[in-house]
Amino acid sequence: MSDDEKKKSGFFQAVKEFVYGVAAHDSARFALKTRASMEHLFILITMGDMLGVPILPPYYSLRLLPYVVPQISTWKRRMLREKDLTDSLA
Amino acid sequence: MNAVTVLVLGFVVAFVGYRYYAKYIDSKIIKADPKRTTPAKMYMDGVEFMPTSKNILFGYQFKSIAGAAPIIGPIIAIQWGWLPALIWILGGAFFIGWVQDYSSAAISMRNEGASFGGLSHKLISPRARIILLAFIYFYLLLIAGAFGNVVVSTAIGLKAAPMAWLFLTIAGVLAGQMIYRWRSDIILTTAVTVVIALVGIWLGTIAPSDKILGTELSNSRVLWAIAAFVFCYFAAVLPIWRFALPVNYVASYIVFLGLFFGIIGVFIIHPNFTLPAYTDFSIKVGPLWPIMFVTIACGAVSGWHSIVSSSGTARQLENELDARPVGAGVMFVEMMLALFALIIAGTIYASPVEYGAAIAKGPGVIFAGGVAKFMGALGLPLNLGNSYGSVMMVVLAVTIMQLVIRFMRVATSELLSDISPVFRNAHVGTFIACLLGMILVLTGWWQYLWVLFGGANQLMASLALLLVTAWLMSEGKPAAWTFYPMIFMFITTIAALLYTSYSLLQKVVSGAVKGEALVGNTLMGLVGLFLVAAALILGVEGIKALNRYKVIKAQAATAKV
Repeated sequence: MSDDEKKKSGFFQAVKEFVYGVAAHDSARFALKTRASMEHLFILITMGDMLGVPILPPYYSLRLLPYVVPQISTWKRRMLREKDLTDSLA
Repeated sequence: MNAVTVLVLGFVVAFVGYRYYAKYIDSKIIKADPKRTTPAKMYMDGVEFMPTSKNILFGYQFKSIAGAAPIIGPIIAIQWGWLPALIWILGGAFFIGWVQDYSSAAISMRNEGASFGGLSHKLISPRARIILLAFIYFYLLLIAGAFGNVVVSTAIGLKAAPMAWLFLTIAGVLAGQMIYRWRSDIILTTAVTVVIALVGIWLGTIAPSDKILGTELSNSRVLWAIAAFVFCYFAAVLPIWRFALPVNYVASYIVFLGLFFGIIGVFIIHPNFTLPAYTDFSIKVGPLWPIMFVTIACGAVSGWHSIVSSSGTARQLENELDARPVGAGVMFVEMMLALFALIIAGTIYASPVEYGAAIAKGPGVIFAGGVAKFMGALGLPLNLGNSYGSVMMVVLAVTIMQLVIRFMRVATSELLSDISPVFRNAHVGTFIACLLGMILVLTGWWQYLWVLFGGANQLMASLALLLVTAWLMSEGKPAAWTFYPMIFMFITTIAALLYTSYSLLQKVVSGAVKGEALVGNTLMGLVGLFLVAAALILGVEGIKALNRYKVIKAQAATAKV
């Protein structure tokens, strides 16, 4: 491409970019911000405990709670009971 | 004086200012370094911080700062004569306007893309941040009121405007639907929706509002104020992609084409100024100093630009060298827009009496008349040109109004949600902002409201320059190029706000106004006084900060010795 052609295409490219900047750049930025805010919300929910905001573990625990409440005391006794080798004989 | 001479003068000032003054500051003081990493590259997150081509940013900055103000200001200010207005537009842009725009982008770019709230906390004091945010809230309220008045007076003065405005809104909503829901091709969407908007402009000439609504309703300020704020209400509450953004998208083509062909028309017709070069020092709205200097805001200098430059543009500059074309270059283009408005006001009427009759109907009528005349040079019939110009005026005003109302909704929620959770509701915040705006629009004389808006806007500019001066001093850089403009703007705007507030409240106290004018004068007067108080506190904090930096510099100089 000759120098003149390069300058012309450079000029038209600049005009195209200017028109995009006037008409559509703010819309594109807004779309990016919207997507980013959803992504950030997703990461907060899944990794929130990194910032000291635990969300998922308590959420699922609360959903399962009605089903496990009758067995919690049994579970606690079993987990915390002292164990030894003779348990394997019975 | 011929209009083309004015445009040529504008080009010369822009060339000298950009090529010599701005280049000197950029290379010798700020020392823009193409190798230094900008915040856009350092913190690139693909969202706020994103390196963007300077051509795109040029268009983005221009669209963000070019509202109704560079047009309305010169149209009003010509009442002092076109010569003082011309001198202020050229001199203001050359010594202060580009300085503020460019330095706001530079200070943010050199401080990791920080916004003015954060910078005022760091460079001045923690209290400065809170006061600045409160100042901005009331400043934006004045924008809503002043621009709302423009929309109302244009809708009443030009009966074609409402139909054109309605069709532009329909075109915008359709554009949003096509782009975001139907995933239509962008070129097809643009073509279809711009054509619909143009059809609306034509329809406005054959179905004017007085034919559809009757004379009484079409002349009702209340009706058009409600229409303007309902428009802003939807823009603030609906998802931004559904209403605000696509309406702005379609409108930008209408405005851009109108300006482009209008300026070509000026060169074709090359009219002479018919209004006097100078009339009187004191006119009805006030004395030349300080009032004219705040009447012409965006065309010479504007605080709004500093907010756009720091919070938006600075985070997208891919190269430090781009700050000059985007910050300074766009301001000079805005200056040309103001000259275009001055030419319209100064050349389309045969005498000051004709101009006087037109300005009483509102500045939008004058602008539309000018667009009609200059586009007429290219073959567009006058009535179509008037309709086109009227919708340009409405659009230039409402695009900023809707942004302002949206911001005020968020600000109301943040400021008042501790008092009651009801303020967190988007509708409540928006309703409060719209109601306050409407009260300003429907009460009081619109020229006082414009002066108050201009004063607040210019005061914002002086606060931005104060911040930049503090930063320059903290870096040990020469600061005279921002310090003296800041002093001039500070004194002028405080004087203008005090003068206008006094004029308003004096009428209230003396019983010269009654009814809605009493409400309007009181509200405007008190808002003006609040802005003065906020600015004085910021000024005192600023002086303390500048003195701190002076002491540090003196100590550093002594230590070297």
